[in-house]
Amino acid sequence: MSFDFDAGKYAAYLWPAFAISAVAFAWLIADSLAGARRWKRQAERLQAELDELKS
Amino acid sequence: MDARHTFDFLTNPERFMTFSRWAAPLLGVLSTLAAIAGLVMTFLVPEDYQQGDTVRMMFIHIPAAVLSMFIYVCLGVASFLALVFRQALADLAAQACAPIGAVYTALALITGSLWGKPMWGTWWVWDARLTSVLVLLLFYLGYMALRGSLEDEQKAARAAAILALVGVINLPVVKFSVDWWNTLHQGSSTFMAAKGDGLPAIYAWPAALMGLAYLGGFGALWLVRIRALVWRRKARGLSLKLAETAR
Repeated sequence: MSFDFDAGKYAAYLWPAFAISAVAFAWLIADSLAGARRWKRQAERLQAELDELKS
Repeated sequence: MDARHTFDFLTNPERFMTFSRWAAPLLGVLSTLAAIAGLVMTFLVPEDYQQGDTVRMMFIHIPAAVLSMFIYVCLGVASFLALVFRQALADLAAQACAPIGAVYTALALITGSLWGKPMWGTWWVWDARLTSVLVLLLFYLGYMALRGSLEDEQKAARAAAILALVGVINLPVVKFSVDWWNTLHQGSSTFMAAKGDGLPAIYAWPAALMGLAYLGGFGALWLVRIRALVWRRKARGLSLKLAETAR
């Protein structure tokens, strides 16, 4: 058994499908991680400000 | 441990954060491993005697299509729990899974279209399966638009949850459209496939591995997005406290 990357006349359909899926997942991963990091930092910053104000 | 607290990690935000801190990366790693194995097998299996190399499209199209419905089930259940039992975390879970579901559904439509052109001779046809999946995408987009359009977050959450529950009606239509109507789209070849219509064993393995990869990917992304929304809610609460303390 060997890898078959030669899609022949169907390459114009096959590779865009894989490329679009890869880009969509890359965007989903980046957007999810960036959102989580952004709100975590924001919450930590506000907590620190609140602690400082109280002390 | 008290049985009543068995699912606390799904309802108590603090316990959920502890659980998801290790569960999200674990699911991410398992999903990546399944994707690597699935992709290797995708390009190792022989081409189909009728469909040629386009058969490899199946390994990214079917998981996206199946998961697009599964994610909507999660959206429906979370919306129900938020609406009826006022579970705050369930509302965040519903909000978090809508964008992932929309992307999966869009991928099912795009990869299906790219597969349909060489096999059917057309990018799109208004048959029951394709149309009902497009309606599914519109429900996801409508849910997100509704949540974003109202300033009062509680009102937005209620309205969006009702819309999500209405959209559940579309799920059996998507699933059984190929049985109820005469469609260009083929009948089921995975779950509930008719005798002789099931996937050949050589294609079932990469399809199953890619299915696990898409499922694990959804799980990991869902947890990360819920975590982001928990922190956002915490940040908003802290902003209010800061404003009150500063006064």
